[in-house]
Amino acid sequence: MDIHLYLVCYQSEALVASHLDAAAFGAHLAVGTQKHTSGNVMFVEIDPSFKSDALKLNKLSSRCIPHADGSPRRSKYISIYRALEHIPLSAFGKLYMTTRDGRVLGLDSKPYDPESEEPGTNLYTELCPVFPRVASSLPPFRFCRFITNPDNPLHVPRIIFSDNLLDREDDGSLAGYLPYPNREHIVDCIRALTSSEGKPTKTIERNPQLIAFYRTVGRGFFAGDQTDMIFYPFPSRAELEGEHHLWWRSASMD
Amino acid sequence: MNMIKRLYCLIPISFFMANSAFAETAPAGARQIPGWWYVCPVASVVALLMAFFFYRFIMKSSSGTDRMQEIAGYVREGAYAYLRRQYKVVGLVFVVLVAVLSFMAFGLGVQHRLVPFAFLTGGLFSGLAGFIGMKTATAASVRTAHGASESLNKGLTIAFRAGSVMGLTVVGLALLDISLWFLYLYKYHHIVTGGHEMNLETITVVMLCFGMGASTQALFARVGGGIYTKAADVGADLVGKVEAGIPEDDPRNPATIADNVGDNVGDVAGMGADLYESYAGSVLATAALGVAMASVHGFGVQKAFIYLAAPMLLAAMGILFSIIGIFVVKTRDDANMKQLLSALNRGIYLSSVLIIAGAFALVRVMGLPTGVFTAITIGVVLGIVIGKGTEWATAAEYKPTRYVADQSLTGPATVIIGGIAEGMMSTWIPILAVCIGTLCSFAVMDGFNDILAGLYGVGIAAVGMLSTLGLTLATDAYGPIADNAGGNAEMSGLPKEVRQRTDALDSLGNTTAAIGKGFAIGSAALTALALLASYIEEVRVGIHREAAIEYAAPAAEESYTVVNVGAADNGKYAICLPGAAAGSRQSQQFYTLSAFEGTGERAVRVSGPDGQPLSLIVNEVGEMVKDRGAADLDGRLLCAQKAGLMDYMNFYNVTLMNPKVLVGEFIGVLLVFVFSALTMKAVGRAAFAMVTEVRRQFKESPGIMAGTERPDYARCVAISTAGAQREMIVPSLLAITIPVLVGLFLNVSGVVGLLVGGLCAGFAMAVYMANAGGAWDNAKKFIEAGNHGGKGSLAHKAAVVGDTVGDPFKDTCGPSLNILIKLMSMVSIVFAGLIVKYAPAIGAWLGIGN
Repeated sequence: MDIHLYLVCYQSEALVASHLDAAAFGAHLAVGTQKHTSGNVMFVEIDPSFKSDALKLNKLSSRCIPHADGSPRRSKYISIYRALEHIPLSAFGKLYMTTRDGRVLGLDSKPYDPESEEPGTNLYTELCPVFPRVASSLPPFRFCRFITNPDNPLHVPRIIFSDNLLDREDDGSLAGYLPYPNREHIVDCIRALTSSEGKPTKTIERNPQLIAFYRTVGRGFFAGDQTDMIFYPFPSRAELEGEHHLWWRSASMD
Repeated sequence: MNMIKRLYCLIPISFFMANSAFAETAPAGARQIPGWWYVCPVASVVALLMAFFFYRFIMKSSSGTDRMQEIAGYVREGAYAYLRRQYKVVGLVFVVLVAVLSFMAFGLGVQHRLVPFAFLTGGLFSGLAGFIGMKTATAASVRTAHGASESLNKGLTIAFRAGSVMGLTVVGLALLDISLWFLYLYKYHHIVTGGHEMNLETITVVMLCFGMGASTQALFARVGGGIYTKAADVGADLVGKVEAGIPEDDPRNPATIADNVGDNVGDVAGMGADLYESYAGSVLATAALGVAMASVHGFGVQKAFIYLAAPMLLAAMGILFSIIGIFVVKTRDDANMKQLLSALNRGIYLSSVLIIAGAFALVRVMGLPTGVFTAITIGVVLGIVIGKGTEWATAAEYKPTRYVADQSLTGPATVIIGGIAEGMMSTWIPILAVCIGTLCSFAVMDGFNDILAGLYGVGIAAVGMLSTLGLTLATDAYGPIADNAGGNAEMSGLPKEVRQRTDALDSLGNTTAAIGKGFAIGSAALTALALLASYIEEVRVGIHREAAIEYAAPAAEESYTVVNVGAADNGKYAICLPGAAAGSRQSQQFYTLSAFEGTGERAVRVSGPDGQPLSLIVNEVGEMVKDRGAADLDGRLLCAQKAGLMDYMNFYNVTLMNPKVLVGEFIGVLLVFVFSALTMKAVGRAAFAMVTEVRRQFKESPGIMAGTERPDYARCVAISTAGAQREMIVPSLLAITIPVLVGLFLNVSGVVGLLVGGLCAGFAMAVYMANAGGAWDNAKKFIEAGNHGGKGSLAHKAAVVGDTVGDPFKDTCGPSLNILIKLMSMVSIVFAGLIVKYAPAIGAWLGIGN
């Protein structure tokens, strides 16, 4: 049985080995062997040839073994803390998004052109290794550099975050279809951000409850550090409704 | 297919064969019916033929892919399994009730011997209408989904024509049942039984009794269907959506098929049986009132026949105009929601205009007062006003629902408060509309001078409102068909554009379903008033029957002898009534309750020794006549003037100062609340069983969520079916027994109070529940459309709570209350003879008067 490596990165951090392919692994994480609802899950498939002493991957084949009855090992947790910082971006494969009911959609990465970034206010949800939701005047690439900058007293070595919708009504309030709680607070934070020169980010919530999260994803997901950044573009609504209908229906539920 | 084809073919053929056979060999003594009356049976047959034509059209359409057919097969099997079980339970209840009615008719002699048969045919035809409608709906939904893959118009046409099958079958069978009974009773019954011809009054009150069969069937269909559909819906939602995060209509949800089945058994079969009863009840009650009015005013048999036939003719015209309306419903392939709604409204408005024009012609040709035309117009307009009022109260485009949606921003508690408040407030439109409609249709007949004429106006207004039921019911039944089509498209994984079309059709169905519920409730209220008056008419017949039994005619050669009538002891037989208002009876102080025809062919005038006319006792069919000239009764039975409705009200002391009336009203109100509570708790219990089962399946079969294992749909269907059958018994029996018990203990005055209390509280409660539930439902949909955070937001979660509470409100309790109102009237009518006979004795024994 092939051993797959998955980096779980949705408001949690874990490197998991499994005999299951990505779709089955995602369904397993969401649904389990017996139904115990656990909410959305996201994970990145890691190159199986990737080795790391820090994560003790050398003896992976002896740690991730099938069950006694021959059934595949569904999950063997390799690390549940500081996994991301030890996995180089070059080992990152597809990003998988799993819904509460176990439907899985994989996203391929795509080159990202920092030059095309435009100024404006952005809403980012940090997914791994920390989880705050922040408003920022920095576009994704610059935000990634900023948050992983070791000169910054508050930084992480590597980060996965999403860009989220911040559509506004004519009166400045958030668009009606956006499910964020404390909507006025978000508007206040944006106002504070734009009125205070030099402040690149403002934390909206430290541990946000990600309500209807997939519906709020804007351009997509980013994984990066000081040297590089990977971009996983989120499909358009038309593409989701047309080509990934079942996943999108589940994703729109919660 | 073959079965339904046989059914459709048999009904009109048997009718024509029977009638032509009689016509060709018409035995001597058969009364002649004017040729124009045959428009009624012909229209009913046309309705059934058109329904069959539409059914064939639907069945010729493609049923799509194997997967689509497989899913449709599950729904069909579930629906049939439910109906089989329901008909078994209802069959048992009918056996018991027929036994009771037979004992009353043949054993106690307190009602006409045809009543058990009338009861049976009413139930049979009502059940048949529901069965045909549901069979068509289950076949049509998959074809609608496939039709939508070709074009929006194709999908709309199939779904709407399937709804039309339901609508036309209901009106066709109802009018056919009425026509066949009338034909038999008027023309042939006296030949078959060898007795005298039945007078029109007796014919109409006997026919009224088939309404109880229809009502009983309807109550079981509505309560059972309502419990079934909401148990499945709530179970599917609570575990599937909330716990497992599975979207609507996902084949992994074990309860999803039961949910789809529920749409059919609740909203198609239940709605069909419900409106069948309203339709037939309004025609029969109005006919009875027309005959009573003509009789009291001494209009003569010919005029009485016209008043009797007018509601039937109006119904017949309504059928023909509904068919025209059905054909104009079509839309463009790129139609939006508004254009789809306009397509349906076009048909409704056209048929409404046509029925008003037709009513004008009818009144002119038949020589009826202009007030009849005005009352019909009021009824037609009233139906539209109530429909629009319901739309305003429940559609997301208007303030009430927006308000409920806004409340979701502060959590589920405020959503519940908001929904209850809006539901209560929304009652003002239909209630005031019915109040104004009642007053106006009453006034236009004779300006409040003639109560019977006024009541006839109210009755004919109800018939006018329901005259285009073939079309309005088509729009109602269309809703669940489109809903199921959407479910089938989703579960079958049909392409995006097909799903978008079925979604559009489904959205339209949600709006029409809410309007349909308002229409059903409004028509029930208007019909109930006519039934209330008919109840008094039935009491009159009961008193006659009692008198006739007391004065059983001796052999022809014997001379008549007078026996104690009992009028002097407890008033049981009430042979004469004192206290007619001066002037209203030409200053005669006393008059009998008899159905004496002053100058008709059966008129008997007997003079006493002084040459003055003596009172006569005439039984309910006018066949046994007794000389009441004995000295001990002289001075009390002075003339054969008939008593009218108000005389009976006076006789039974039906005034608000009579505590029996007040107590009856309280019990009526109480019954509404207890009935609602029972049905709600029934939904809760049945839903709990469903939740447990769905959880069990998820736990024991992990492959269900992974999509590798098929859920046990049949088990969920069986649980919902068993729950519905078990839970519907108590509330249904309560509705049947309470009016009888109240009658026996509180007599006629108590029953009138009960009916009034039940009508007022039931009407308001039904509107409140239906509209609150509709507002909660559409507030949730409004949020899902992308407002207040959209799907999955906290506001949405709050709205989902409101919608779950509203489910039994709008789909179980509210619609069931329509039938409760009517069934109470019908039970009272059928058991009036029993009450008239035994209530005085029970009252005397209890020391509470008679």
